[in-house]
Amino acid sequence: MAQQASGATERIYVHPLPVRVWHWINALGFIALILTGIQIRYVDLVGLMSFRTAVHLHNWIGFLLIANFFIWLLFYLFTDKIRVYHPELSPMKHFRGTLRQLRYYGYGIFRGDPNPHHVSVYRKFNPLQSMAYQIIMMLVVPLQFFTGLLLWDLHRFAGAVQLFGGVRVVATVHVLCFIFFTGFILVHPYLASLAHPPSRHFKAMITGYEEVEKKPD
Amino acid sequence: MARLQRLDATMRAAMRHFCAVVLAVAAQPALCAAADAVEPALSDADAACLGCHSMEALARSLPDGETLSLHVAAGPYARSVHGAFGCGACHADIDASVHPAQGKDIQSRRQYAIERAEACGLCHADAAERHAGSVHARRAAEGDPLAPLCSGCHGSHAVTPRTAYETCVRCHSADLAAHAKWLPNSRTHHEVVSCAACHAPEAPRMIDLRLHGGAAGWVVEQEGATPFGELARAADADGDGLDALELRGLLQRINRDAPGPRRLRGRVELREDVLAHGLLAREEAIRACDSCHRYGAEPFRNVTVSIVGTDGRPLRYPAKAEILGSALAVESLPEFYAIGGTRSPFLDLLFLLALAGGIGVPAGHMTLKWLFRKHRARRAGSGGE
Ligand code: HEC
Ligand code: HEC
Ligand code: HEC
Ligand code: HEC
Ligand code: HEC
Ligand code: HEC
Ligand code: HEC
Ligand code: HEM
Repeated sequence: MAQQASGATERIYVHPLPVRVWHWINALGFIALILTGIQIRYVDLVGLMSFRTAVHLHNWIGFLLIANFFIWLLFYLFTDKIRVYHPELSPMKHFRGTLRQLRYYGYGIFRGDPNPHHVSVYRKFNPLQSMAYQIIMMLVVPLQFFTGLLLWDLHRFAGAVQLFGGVRVVATVHVLCFIFFTGFILVHPYLASLAHPPSRHFKAMITGYEEVEKKPD
Repeated sequence: MARLQRLDATMRAAMRHFCAVVLAVAAQPALCAAADAVEPALSDADAACLGCHSMEALARSLPDGETLSLHVAAGPYARSVHGAFGCGACHADIDASVHPAQGKDIQSRRQYAIERAEACGLCHADAAERHAGSVHARRAAEGDPLAPLCSGCHGSHAVTPRTAYETCVRCHSADLAAHAKWLPNSRTHHEVVSCAACHAPEAPRMIDLRLHGGAAGWVVEQEGATPFGELARAADADGDGLDALELRGLLQRINRDAPGPRRLRGRVELREDVLAHGLLAREEAIRACDSCHRYGAEPFRNVTVSIVGTDGRPLRYPAKAEILGSALAVESLPEFYAIGGTRSPFLDLLFLLALAGGIGVPAGHMTLKWLFRKHRARRAGSGGE
């Protein structure tokens, strides 16, 4: 690639330790929750383990991930790293950036255009990522956790279940989020591999350091 | 059973007749409407017996030192399902001409209760036969003084329909908590699954969706209002059981006149009450989760919609099994959901689409990238950008 050939890169620290710990626990946990969730919902079709075992595993891993979520939340709330989620305070600019990123993935990438986003410490996400992750982490994930918690003990949380609209509403929201995450967990690693080389972002999430092109700021 | 049904029909007719005559004379039709018989007649003979036996202090001491209370509360007896039969129906051995002078030989309360419970079987042969094969009857035969006879669950002089489940808990309150050891959400299960649905494993089961009024509790059929059965029949246009749309129509119709929101709550129950007597030992009880939490599981294939009738018995109307997983159920049945059993085909489809998209989008994208590889190479070669 053109910009790669022009060459000088530097290593910048983009993923602090708490974020990396959170991320890998979360990733494994999600996969486990999806698998046990499928087992619970489709006992007639899937035979990985018994229904009862699946329920117990699902509940334990669910609680682990709720605790894990707070690592992520507290880290961002109590460090200035929260800036990675709103480097751009103008919504119009953010929106245009998102469109630009979408056009890159759907068109430019095939032509060999350069990625319009350049990673830096406070701009580790492209606008599309930043928007998607905020919706997921502040809306879908909490909704999944909250509905899961209610289903865990319907009797204890009867009042909240009632407010939510009834056990079927709670379960249906839980299942809709599950459906979303099933799609997400398949697409997310693929998008992460759209780098040069494809392992680059994965390595960064392990070591914390991302290789980026030197670019006069 | 045939005999029981005949008796049953005669009794009801008699009570209605009584209601019509006595209360119409008293010019209180509203009261008459409140029940087939609010305070039904006691025959003269029964009134005579109660002349002595309604005295609370009446009692007799037994050889083993126990006291046998001889008190029978008149009101509850008269209102019970057996109120109009006469004491003699269960106490045929009492001969009024020599009673009480000719005392009977009673060794203990338990022995007396066992003798008297025999009488129930005269009219309820079906229940008696099933009960005889139950774990309780076996324990009773082995001499366990606490194992319930008919009267242990139903009572003797104040028998009303559908109260027996409440008595299970009286004796087994400690055992309920034990279920939590293997059954998650056990308190919820005890609320929505009748004990016999697991402990009478041979009995066919069903889902009964019953009208509930939130804080107002179970909705009881109101005299004067359009009967539930009539509303259900009107909603069921094709007469083959309520489907999802018809159920929604029925609920809208009921809620139009209701003082508060009315919703359906589901319960796993036996298709026939009498099968509740086939209670087996704990090893035989249903503990396999997938006997309920599997799509198409047996209890979920038969569905009824019901309301509590004026006499406490449920009035049921058949519904189609698909209503449990229909997309409309989010609106019609928000308070009933059992994993697997009420699975929605619509959500299954969405799940398949998400799977297909999750695999298809990366695969398609990769393919396009591969197809355009030459184009990219050309541009890179020509120093493009
Ligand atoms: C005059 C008062 C009186 C009347 C009327 C009366 N009883 Fe009794 N009943 C007693 C007494 C006293 C005993 C206790 C007798 C004993 O010590 O054996 C008794 C005992 C009983 C018992 C329990 C012991 C047993 O013998 O089974 C039953 C059942 C009973 N009565 C039923 C009836 C019925 C049915 C009638 C109406 C046909 C009736 N009684 C009328 C006073 C009365
Ligand atoms: C549906 C059957 C039934 C009818 C009807 C009935 N009894 Fe009984 N009665 C029983 C049974 C069963 C017992 C044994 C009580 C037990 O198991 O604890 C009993 C016991 C008694 C006893 C003994 C004390 C006690 O309470 O255990 C008396 C007295 C008595 N009955 C009086 C009457 C009188 C009076 C009437 C009519 C007003 C009457 N019974 C109607 C079933 C009946
Ligand atoms: C003379 C016959 C007769 C005897 C003896 C008798 N019953 Fe009944 N029982 C009936 C009839 C008839 C009905 C139905 C009454 C009705 O539909 O209102 C009934 C109703 C019942 C019901 C309510 C059924 C329902 O639909 O939920 C129970 C429970 C019951 N009996 C238990 C007993 C017990 C326990 C005994 C013994 C203590 C007993 N019966 C003795 C005739 C009898
Ligand atoms: C362990 C408790 C228990 C015992 C013991 C028991 N029953 Fe029942 N019975 C029930 C339950 C539970 C039901 C169903 C729900 C209800 O009516 O509350 C029932 C229902 C009935 C009904 C109504 C059946 C119908 O088809 O509507 C009758 C009649 C009855 N029992 C009679 C008897 C007789 C007679 C005996 C003794 C031989 C007996 N029961 C012993 C628990 C018991
Ligand atoms: C009058 C008290 C009493 C009532 C009411 C009663 N039980 Fe029981 N039950 C007993 C006794 C006593 C035993 C035998 C002792 C034991 O094994 O725990 C027993 C045993 C059992 C067992 C077998 C336990 C085992 O160890 O295998 C089951 C299941 C059971 N009851 C269920 C019920 C249900 C369901 C009801 C209500 C429909 C009910 N019981 C009502 C007293 C009662
Ligand atoms: C979901 C099915 C289910 C329901 C609902 C259920 N049980 Fe059980 N119950 C079981 C099983 C399975 C066992 C055996 C547990 C064991 O052996 O560890 C059991 C055990 C018991 C025992 C034996 C005592 C013990 O401590 O193990 C009693 C008594 C009992 N149940 C009563 C009841 C009563 C009363 C109700 C209704 C309020 C009820 N059960 C509802 C499945 C059920
Ligand atoms: C006899 C049928 C039956 C059996 C057996 C049964 N369940 Fe359930 N379960 C139900 C019903 C009905 C509900 C719905 C409760 C409601 O309406 O909220 C339920 C609810 C649940 C829930 C809450 C989520 C939901 O669907 O509303 C869990 C979790 C659950 N069951 C797990 C289990 C496990 C684990 C087992 C086996 C150890 C089991 N169940 C056995 C009938 C059953
Ligand atoms: C983020 C990933 C998660 C996924 C993909 C997921 C998926 C699923 C699925 C598919 C079901 C079956 C639902 C049905 O058919 O009605 C289910 C049930 C359930 N989920 Fe989750 N879930 C997740 C997170 C959680 C969390 C965090 C909790 C909290 C403890 C939780 C608690 C529950 C409970 C209690 C049930 C009912 C069955 C059981 O007790 O295991 N879930 N989940």
